[in-house]
Amino acid sequence: MRAIRRSRSRAPIVCAAYFVLPFLIACGTRAASGNPQAAPPDLNGVWSAPFTPDISKVLGHQPTFTAYGAARFAKEDEVDDPLTQCLPIGPARGIQAGIMPFQIVQTPSVLTILFENQHTFRIIHTDGRSHPKDVDATWFGDSIGKWEGDTLVVDTVGLNDRTWLDTAGHEHSDQLHLVERFQKMDNNNIKWTVTFEDPKFFTEPWSITLPIARQNTEIMSYSCEENEKDRVHLRRTKK
Amino acid sequence: MRIPSSFAFVLIFVLLCVPAPIFAHHGFSVEFDQKAPITLTGVVTKMEFMNPHIYFYVDVKGNDGKVVNWAFEGGPPNVIYRQGWRKDTLKPGDLVTVKGFRAKDGAHLAACSTVTLSDGRELSAGSGGVSQNAYGSAGTNGKKQ
Repeated sequence: MRAIRRSRSRAPIVCAAYFVLPFLIACGTRAASGNPQAAPPDLNGVWSAPFTPDISKVLGHQPTFTAYGAARFAKEDEVDDPLTQCLPIGPARGIQAGIMPFQIVQTPSVLTILFENQHTFRIIHTDGRSHPKDVDATWFGDSIGKWEGDTLVVDTVGLNDRTWLDTAGHEHSDQLHLVERFQKMDNNNIKWTVTFEDPKFFTEPWSITLPIARQNTEIMSYSCEENEKDRVHLRRTKK
Repeated sequence: MRIPSSFAFVLIFVLLCVPAPIFAHHGFSVEFDQKAPITLTGVVTKMEFMNPHIYFYVDVKGNDGKVVNWAFEGGPPNVIYRQGWRKDTLKPGDLVTVKGFRAKDGAHLAACSTVTLSDGRELSAGSGGVSQNAYGSAGTNGKKQ
């Protein structure tokens, strides 16, 4: 009887622990997430954003072009899209390629994005380094990242001028500067905001935001040149 | 009821977006004519389950009795693999009815939207053209809208 009584006397404590402890743990976790010393969110996994062939539709209007940028945009035709030549997709367009997912592999000092599209990749250094002083222009540029709470902020420079930002023909120069914010919303969702700054093409920086969702798949092989038969059939869409 | 901001953010995009097209390598309208739908029935002669798009070929007998070998383009193999396609989904000898859109240059080539097999199964192979676009337009140049 004594044993039963003792166990009954402990019941309220056990119940309180059962319901209150998870709450306390949650509060502690939340407090920790605001701590810059806390471990950053885990972005490992296979992800995809909606296919966005015209990013001005997300913006709601065309970006404010410089005279040079406007002239280039008026001239450009989908048939000139670098992807039709099987060239690399570029860092931001690779995120919103949509139908082909990408995989994030994250370590404390570097985060890589492996694109299924043409099996290309980005390397984002998160070890505190700065951009090189003299960076050579490349297809994916030089990327450095830092964590601001639950958000990875990625700064990219050193891009060549040979990629497009989308299928609709938004181009850029080698002065393009990208700032991306990967905000982990929950285990399966990231809010991705990219800011395009390019004084040669745009009078001011502009941003779009897309949702990135976890995919229940693995990235697969893709080789654009394997059996390319379309180029000879392509026709200009502008008169 | 308060809707979490993350859920609302995703929901807005779900409502705004329709199923994505599968032309990752080139826009639809630079090769195919949305105003030229086509439906052809014939026998599969070859399947190329390869990048950047699958191609399959069908012998189609015309009203004059002449047989023409048509080429049909679908999506990238990795994309339609995730939709259930395999390299032997279509085999030489299969009788099929294909719906799609003709190439602008007049070649015996079309973007395949659906394939109906002799047992009645209908498979989506990729391009419905503009109607399948997600955000923005790949079927027509975004600058014109």
